[in-house]
Amino acid sequence: MDCGTCESGPALELHAPEVVDVNLTLTEKATAMLEDAFGDDRSHALLVGVLSGGCSGYMYDLQIVEGTDTPCQELNINGFRVLVPMASSHLLNGIEIDYVDRLMGGGFKINNPNASSSCGCGESFA
Amino acid sequence: MGMVRHDAYALLLQGNDVLTFLNGLSTNRVEGACTTVLTNRSAKIVDVCEVVPVGEHVALIGYAPHKQSLVAHLTERILGQDVSITDISHLNDVFIGTGEGEFPEGTTHHNSMFGSMVIVPVRHEWQASWDQQAWTEHRIEHQIPFYAHEITQKVNPLKAGLGDLIHPQKGCYIGQEVLTRMRTRNSIDYVIRKKANPVKKATTIGQHNSLVVERVQ
Repeated sequence: MDCGTCESGPALELHAPEVVDVNLTLTEKATAMLEDAFGDDRSHALLVGVLSGGCSGYMYDLQIVEGTDTPCQELNINGFRVLVPMASSHLLNGIEIDYVDRLMGGGFKINNPNASSSCGCGESFA
Repeated sequence: MGMVRHDAYALLLQGNDVLTFLNGLSTNRVEGACTTVLTNRSAKIVDVCEVVPVGEHVALIGYAPHKQSLVAHLTERILGQDVSITDISHLNDVFIGTGEGEFPEGTTHHNSMFGSMVIVPVRHEWQASWDQQAWTEHRIEHQIPFYAHEITQKVNPLKAGLGDLIHPQKGCYIGQEVLTRMRTRNSIDYVIRKKANPVKKATTIGQHNSLVVERVQ
């Protein structure tokens, strides 16, 4: 196979999605859970990202991190540092992060006005 | 015994996240060389692709008429991952068949679900030994589904006879919910059968026999 790397084959133009200023809200329950998780330590941040994959095309990715190499928007929501990667800002603008307290399927839930559909587990959307 | 020219595209995917990226978007477990299907949310086929490791990179070989939709499907899901795509179709000819023949230097061999695949640099001007009719008769004899016949963008992989490319244990990918529900809840599956002509609703028509996709329960 001629992989063209020596001849600089024409790279496909990837259309980078538009970066938007993200608006994001935390419900009271989600805020309470984050207060439990973070305590008084505000050196860490909540990273709210999107990965490709999942049943519907995109998957939410929530992490507690000290920092990240990924270019992010840093927001201060209810006293918490929230990081949103630039590359997925268009998918996350307007979301509400909630916490659902139940034995099965409980945990952080994201209500996303940009999602046209989501899969049964609630982690994947399109 | 022979090889036929395949109307294929070849994309070179580079970056540390390529295999994870492809694995998250397709029906088969992608850990190295394999054939896999990329499906949309309703589990319809975007393309059936050969994953061919090339040194540190990965080549994706698929059906040329599906290239545009496949590229759109991939590019809108690159969200900061280390993945870049280069079109190397114009540099390579792709052939499928039984694998016999003298191949020039620089040929890459790959075991595809369609048979033996070779990717030959265009500069060699390598010629196929089979025409399309010979390939069609071979496919009918061995009940091999193929593009524009059984495999179209209007059907899901099960209905194209590609059930073997749907990994039963792997995690989420686009279209997985639909395919899993079809298989487990409704026990729907399809098989490709060779039948003597004339055949109603044949997907591939040969001289004496044809292929038809039939539902089994």
